[in-house]
Amino acid sequence: MHTLIRSARVLLGAALLMPAALAAQDLAIRNATILTIANGDIENGTVLMRNGKITAVGRNVTIPAGVRTIDGTGKFVMPGIIDAHSHAALEGGINEGSESVTPEVIVQLRNDDPVIYRALAGGVTAALLLHGSANTIGGQGLVIKMRWGTTVDSMMFKGAHRIVKFALGENVTRASSTAEAADRRYPMTRMGVDHTLRYWFTLAKDYDKSWTDYRAAARTNPNAIPPRRDLRLEALADILRGDLKVHAHSYRGDEILMLIRVADDMGFKINTFQHVLEGYKVADEIAKHGAMASTFADMWAYKVEAWDAIPFNMALMHQRGVVVSVNSDSDERIRRLYQEAGVGVRYGNMPVNEALKMITLNPAKQLGVDKMVGTLEVGKDGDIAVFSAHPFAPAAMVEYTIIDGKVHFDRNEANTLRKVVVPSPSPSPSGGAR
Amino acid sequence: MSRRICLAAALAIAGPALAAAQASPGEGGNWLIRGGTVVTGTGERLANTSVLIRNGRIAQMGANVAAGDAKVIDAAGKFIYPGMIDANTPIGLVEIGGIQPMTMRNELGQFNPHLRALVALNVESEFLGVTRMNGVTSVLTSPAGGIISGQAAMINTAGWTWEDLAVTRSAGIVINLPGAAGAGGGRGGGGGGRGGAAPAPAPSATDLHAFMKAAQDYDAKRTAGSAKLDLIYESMRPLFRKEIPAIIPAGGEAGIRSAIEFGEQYGLKVVIMGGAQAYRARALLAQKNVPVILSSIQSVPQGNSPYDEIYAQPGLLHDAGVKFAFSTGGGANARHVPEHAALAVAYGLPLDAALKALTIWPAEIFGADKEIGSIAQGKMANLFVASGDPLDMRTQITHVFIKGRNVPSDDRHSRLYQKYRARPMPPPG
Repeated sequence: MHTLIRSARVLLGAALLMPAALAAQDLAIRNATILTIANGDIENGTVLMRNGKITAVGRNVTIPAGVRTIDGTGKFVMPGIIDAHSHAALEGGINEGSESVTPEVIVQLRNDDPVIYRALAGGVTAALLLHGSANTIGGQGLVIKMRWGTTVDSMMFKGAHRIVKFALGENVTRASSTAEAADRRYPMTRMGVDHTLRYWFTLAKDYDKSWTDYRAAARTNPNAIPPRRDLRLEALADILRGDLKVHAHSYRGDEILMLIRVADDMGFKINTFQHVLEGYKVADEIAKHGAMASTFADMWAYKVEAWDAIPFNMALMHQRGVVVSVNSDSDERIRRLYQEAGVGVRYGNMPVNEALKMITLNPAKQLGVDKMVGTLEVGKDGDIAVFSAHPFAPAAMVEYTIIDGKVHFDRNEANTLRKVVVPSPSPSPSGGAR
Repeated sequence: MSRRICLAAALAIAGPALAAAQASPGEGGNWLIRGGTVVTGTGERLANTSVLIRNGRIAQMGANVAAGDAKVIDAAGKFIYPGMIDANTPIGLVEIGGIQPMTMRNELGQFNPHLRALVALNVESEFLGVTRMNGVTSVLTSPAGGIISGQAAMINTAGWTWEDLAVTRSAGIVINLPGAAGAGGGRGGGGGGRGGAAPAPAPSATDLHAFMKAAQDYDAKRTAGSAKLDLIYESMRPLFRKEIPAIIPAGGEAGIRSAIEFGEQYGLKVVIMGGAQAYRARALLAQKNVPVILSSIQSVPQGNSPYDEIYAQPGLLHDAGVKFAFSTGGGANARHVPEHAALAVAYGLPLDAALKALTIWPAEIFGADKEIGSIAQGKMANLFVASGDPLDMRTQITHVFIKGRNVPSDDRHSRLYQKYRARPMPPPG
């Protein structure tokens, strides 16, 4: 497959070098069931994209002559899937684990990781690539579109939030407690995590004030001396101003509530709690703070702080007004996030459209891109997944994944097992298990 | 899951006692599940059919079955499925991974055919309750580690004791053929000690062959009445009599070939465990009638393989006539085994075959098909009632019966759900 992927990449790369081929971003899918997410489902509907944007969604859409048209008969069309928590395609590690507070660092994208291709084959069109969870305040992540075969720069999702990772609980503290005494690192307890946050935001407020004071003084005094620049405190000050959004790795209800109170006291907002496995215990507090939640469909018992995780978490948080997404945090689950979202229906009986929002509109909100993607509405980006059946049905398979009106995955052209498998040599099949 | 809220709510009200109260194995007695569509698991769909349960077994099925003294459950408009089976898990042996007292699956030593998973099962494992709630009524639970890990058991996911849980007390002996699990790409030892086991001296094929020959020798002498009882060798004899299979982790074609050759050399019935690339040996598997327990389909492809390799393999195996079953390999996620089957259906496996691979095929593979794996008169009443196809995420499972007992949804997760669902809503504004 590698050869195929590489040549596909070369071809796609070559296409990009050609003069703005906007016609390549004109596309229509007709006669399909359209899951708009925003405005209900449309039977026998059409989605039209011009220049990469959705220009029409509905039953009576005229497709201009010459626009490539996919016959959607029997197929289901939904917004491209968005993964609000991935560590795929990152170069050289995901944790700057030398210190517990490192918001100045930024993860680095490796654009040729085949995980991107496999995610595309699962209908994923955008993802948040996060720093790891080793630090109380970790590094900054990247929001990308899965434009496989293009450059690192062209994969960036322009207009998305700047996002920094926080982490609480076992990952932040365990690294220290299992280490040799000489290598231990503060904080080693949840108490220490609370204090670490308060300590650094106290410094950041002072730092921010020193710049405000300087700028005020500089207006009248050309000889005013600026404070010494500190990139770490600058990043924390960005958090205080809301320019850098916090996504906080968290498990237990108590630590989630602790972080909410730290944020309230220090004057910043948690944008999204990540994992948030016990979010259902403090859903009212999360909603009141205005935070959102990005969780696993069902992961539990793999460590002590995951012991009270339940698959009803999504439904319970949703019922109490929290904007919930379901994420992968895995190179495997990113291939079938539609199945993960379905867990919300099986457990807690979420309405199907609300469950689908957990992999479309809701993560779009969490990444700050909901004006551009997350629903099938006129004016939004042409980011679309075409399924062979309803995404929660057992026959659901992605046939096309489209980004900005351009087909980035086409099952018909993909290197599938049935295409490459060489018929097994004799002895011939005996049909024993029919 | 919206079922049997009353009982769960009652438990929630019980407050502090809740923490101690574990999930109940269910309410016995006679039950009539009236007027649903019975999907037998062996290919038939019987509309408007009732199922009468007496003494833990399916006593009668048909359009007109009198309830008599049986408690009645109305299944009109619903579907009655045989309980699903996860064909490889560590349930009962492992709870929270990484905590040693909760992770007792790997014994010391290389040759442990005498070790029995069944007698070490924690009947209060929280995995049992959450697993059965999704219609998974039986699982294979297997030991790991060493060259010969021990005896796996086919168990129900509800019961009062490990004896009550048991369907097949010894369902096979796990043999980690050195080198086999890694062949063809390495990931495939779903049930083996590879991967999860602590570092140990490299297992030696020479040692294994020496052990097998000594066991054969013992078997012959015992048959002739000329050997003293040896607990270790004695436990190998059901293998030589082909009463139970050798469960051999093997990943790809080379590993599967050597596993089959190993079985032929010692006259064993072989079950392949793992088989990440079993499709490469599918003609051989079909010809030798060797079944495969697929390791988790929720995996990534090997190396440079096609993106859909793992999802599409079951369809290829089926086309070739290979019998197989699905497994998660896990405890916490055993309940999601129908989603594994759903992925296989999407990528080319017929739906009926997927249901068989969740029910009757694993039962047959592990010698439990007289008791479980389909809905048929006389079988153990392991079944569930659902609003639709259990492979469809939109389906709600409304009732679960295990050994004829109506199992309430009072598992750990349902209890937490009910407790926090009942938290008073905050005042508006």
